[in-house]
Amino acid sequence: MFLSASANTGRGESPVSKPLIHASSIVKVFDELKVLNKASFTLNEGEFVAVTGKSGVGKSTLLGILGTLDPAFTGELTINGVSTPKASSMELAELRREFMGFIFQDFHLLPNLSALDNILLPAVFSGTDSLEVRKDAAAILSRLDLRNDNTPTRFLSRGERQRVASARALVNNPKVLLADEPTASLDEDSEENLFDLLDALRKERGFAIIAVLHSKRILSRADRILELKGGVLHEKHA
Amino acid sequence: MKNTRKAISLWNRGHWKDYVFSQGMLLVASLLLVFFISIGLGVGNILERFLSSDLPEEQVRITPQGVQAGFFQTERGGTEITADVMDSLTALPQVERIDPQVYAHVPAYLRGLLGGRNYYTDITLEGVSTAFVPDSMLEYIDWNYTLSDSAEKPLPIILSENLLILYNAGFAESNGLMGLTPEGVIGLEVQVNVGSSSIASLQAPPINLRAEIVGTSRSMALFALAVPIEFVEEVNNLYLPDDKHTYSALMVTALEAEDVPAIVRYAESMGLAAETRRGIAQKAEVLVGVVTAALGALAAAILFSAVASAIHTLVADLKNRSYALGVLVALGTKRERLVYIFAFQIFFMSLISTVFGGLLGCALSFLVSSTLLNLLPVLKYAVESLAVFPVGWLASGLGLVLAVSTISAWFFFRKILSTPVTELLRR
Repeated sequence: MFLSASANTGRGESPVSKPLIHASSIVKVFDELKVLNKASFTLNEGEFVAVTGKSGVGKSTLLGILGTLDPAFTGELTINGVSTPKASSMELAELRREFMGFIFQDFHLLPNLSALDNILLPAVFSGTDSLEVRKDAAAILSRLDLRNDNTPTRFLSRGERQRVASARALVNNPKVLLADEPTASLDEDSEENLFDLLDALRKERGFAIIAVLHSKRILSRADRILELKGGVLHEKHA
Repeated sequence: MKNTRKAISLWNRGHWKDYVFSQGMLLVASLLLVFFISIGLGVGNILERFLSSDLPEEQVRITPQGVQAGFFQTERGGTEITADVMDSLTALPQVERIDPQVYAHVPAYLRGLLGGRNYYTDITLEGVSTAFVPDSMLEYIDWNYTLSDSAEKPLPIILSENLLILYNAGFAESNGLMGLTPEGVIGLEVQVNVGSSSIASLQAPPINLRAEIVGTSRSMALFALAVPIEFVEEVNNLYLPDDKHTYSALMVTALEAEDVPAIVRYAESMGLAAETRRGIAQKAEVLVGVVTAALGALAAAILFSAVASAIHTLVADLKNRSYALGVLVALGTKRERLVYIFAFQIFFMSLISTVFGGLLGCALSFLVSSTLLNLLPVLKYAVESLAVFPVGWLASGLGLVLAVSTISAWFFFRKILSTPVTELLRR
C-alpha cells in the first residue's frame, strides 16, 4: 500500500498527535537509479515507526533525507513546520540539534573521547553546554548502565558504544529520534534492554521514533511498520 | 569562550602529536625567517663597512697596474708612476690638482707597549700630503714632519682601518695582544725604526723615532701607515739615493665630478689603474648584492619547505578528520560555528608558534652573532653585532608566514565543510 499520508494504527496512538515530519513525493536518484520514487510519509508526535526492507533498498538514504543530512532530493519535506528544501544550512543545523536525535548504524562516535564527552559534543560545539546539560547527560549514562569515566570510546565494546550513541541522541531532549539499525550486531538481551529503555524514555519525554529495524521482536513494538520496496513506502501491519 | 576552549580541547584530544608537528614546522619556519633576515642584514652591513670608502666623488686614485699593497711590502708590476706620468696628468685640463703618495722603500718596524705587553711588527710607511688628511683632522694635528723634527715631536701616523682589521683578525689574535678599535688606537705612542726590519736591513744605520697615531682612515687608497710625504721622500733619498723616484699612488682631484671619467680613461690608456668612488661603490654593491641574494635564496628555500610542510600537516590532519567534522555537522553544529572555532584554533596556535619561533630566531641570531664575534675579532672591531633586528621587516615576514599558513588551512577547512555531510560520514 502506498502511503500518501500517515494513519495512527499502532499501540502508541495519541489523541493529540500532530505531524512532526511530513514528507511528500520524495525522489532520490543515485546514478540514474531511483532509490526513492515519490515516497511519502508522515510522522506524528510520540509515534514509533519502524522502516524495514531488504538491504540496499534505500532505508538509510531515506533516514538521511528525513534527518536533513542529505539535501540532494526532490519533493517536499516539512519538519516541525519548516520546509527543509527552502531552509538555510543554519536552520537545518538547528533542526538537527534542537529537534532530532540520531542513532547511526556505525554510531559515529569520536573514538578518542569518553562517553560523556561524546554525549556532550553537540552541546559543547554549539555553545550550549551547561551544568544542567551535564547533569542530564550523567543521568542518561547512568540509566544506560554506562560508566561515566574518561575511558575513550574506542576501548568500549560494541554494545557499550551503541548505548553511548543512544545517550547522545537523547541528551538534547529531541522530539524525534532517528535510528538506523540501532540494534545491529547486538545480542537479543541487549536489543531488548535498549528498547525497554527507549520505550520508557519515550513515555516520559514523548518523543517519536523512526527506526530502520530488522529484528521481528523489536518490530512488534512499533506503532507502524513501513516497508521500503521499489522506492515506495508500503505500510505493513504491526 | 569557555565552550570554545572546551570544543578545541575535545577536538584535539588524541591528535596533539599532529598539531605539535605542524606547529613545530611553523615555529622552525619563523625561526629561520628571523635568523636569515637578521644575520643576512648583519652580513650586508659588515660587507658595506669593509667595502666602504671615503674617496670624494671628484677624486680619482691612480695606481700602477698589478701593484699589490701588503702588510709589509709591495710588489710592483706594469707601468710605474714617475714624475713624467704625473706631469702628463697634471697637464690635463680636467685636473685641478694632484697629491702624490710614496711608499718608503726602506725597511721599517714598529714596536710599543699594548695592554702592558711589548709588541713588534714590520711596517710599510706611505707618504701622503695634507690633501689626504681630512680637514677635521688637520685642525688638531701637525702634518709637517722631517727627520730634523724627531727630537721635538713624534712622527704623526694615520692608520688605515683596513690595516686595523687585519691586525685584529690575525696579528693580535696570534700574539695574544688586545684588539683595537679605531677610536681606541688614536693617541697611541710607538717607536718606529727606519732602516731595518725583521727580514731586511740596510748598510746605513737605522733611525729610531718616536711616533704617535693621530688618526685613522677608511680610505681604500691607504694600505699602510700614512706619514707625511716629505718624511718618506727624505728617508728614501737618505737610504736609497740611487733608486728611481716613483709614486705609489696619485690622488687626482678633478675640477668637477663630471670630469672624473675623462681622467680615468686617460690613466687607463697609460696602463695605470684608476679607482673612483663610484667604481668602489659598484663593486661593493655587486658583492653585497650577491651575498644578500645567496642568503635570501637559501632562506626562501628553507622557509618555503618549512611553511609547505606545516601547511601540508595541517591540511592532512583536517583531511583525516573530515569524518569527525561530518559527525559534528550531522549532530547539528552550525558550519559557521565550526569555522569560527577552527579559524580561532588555527590562528591562535599559529600565532603562538610564529611569535615563539620569531623570538627563538632572535635568540639564535644573537647567539650566532656573539659566537662569531668572539671567534673572529676582525668582526668584533668592525661592528657591534652581526645580528640586526629590523622590527618592521621581521613583523612583516612573520605576519606573512602566519597569514599563509592560517589562510591555507582556513580555505581547506571551508572546502571540507562544503562537502555534503553524508559524504563526510563515509570513512
